[in-house]
Amino acid sequence: MSITGYLTVALLLFGIGLYGLIARRSLVAMLIAIELMLAGISINIIALTRLVGRDPAVGQVVVLILAGVAAAETAIALSLFVAIHRSAHAIDVEKLSELRR
Amino acid sequence: MTAHGVVTVAMAAVAVAGALMAVGFRNIFHNILGFALAMLGVAGVFLSLGADFVAAVFILVYVGAVAIAMVYAVMLSQPLDQPFVPRSTAKIGAAAAVALLVAGALWHVMAGAAWHEEAWGQTATAAQVGRRFLTDYVLAFELISVLLVVAMMGAVMVARRTGAEGRGRW
Repeated sequence: MSITGYLTVALLLFGIGLYGLIARRSLVAMLIAIELMLAGISINIIALTRLVGRDPAVGQVVVLILAGVAAAETAIALSLFVAIHRSAHAIDVEKLSELRR
Repeated sequence: MTAHGVVTVAMAAVAVAGALMAVGFRNIFHNILGFALAMLGVAGVFLSLGADFVAAVFILVYVGAVAIAMVYAVMLSQPLDQPFVPRSTAKIGAAAAVALLVAGALWHVMAGAAWHEEAWGQTATAAQVGRRFLTDYVLAFELISVLLVVAMMGAVMVARRTGAEGRGRW
């Protein structure tokens, strides 16, 4: 597959993730959508460093750092969802509008 | 098309199909299963790009850890027995329009660029990646481990029961 093939896969993942992030109401589903967008970005980074980078290992290093940060983000986000559900009894973003009042 | 190309296209199709399942289905458990499938496909795409270590890490971290943690969070929080309230089609349409607009703009940039494909083909082994991690990027490597410890402790503190009803319990 050529570079445009890989970039198209990444573009599809990013677009599907963006749609899910806006369209879904559940906080967990929105987190899944963010992870899909990050996966698309990771494919982009590895494919482009293979093409234009002097050392393709650097692209893999960047993607591994990205995966580590995403894992930390997921741990914090999921614990926040559990805490939010305990205090508000909902993880639907349309019911969590305390700040608007 | 070579065998490598066929496998790559199949893996990309698995990734996109899993992503569609992850955002399309109503049941949140089906979303998580679709997410795991999408990450398996993404790992396959990484394998075809020659990034075998990254593919293994994605399977371990996303399919193994993140998907399981999401199932736990859903079991602790999601009211699965409540009736489903459909969302207004105007909001769904607006979300699809924004996503299509952004994807179209990115596609326009991508299709218009002149890619120099003659440099394509160099890959890095896991040994090269490890050497980079312990020489040039050792500070980022150590900071990631500190970040993960802090995030883990913070997650435990945030999700812990507080107040009279949960004192002494976790």
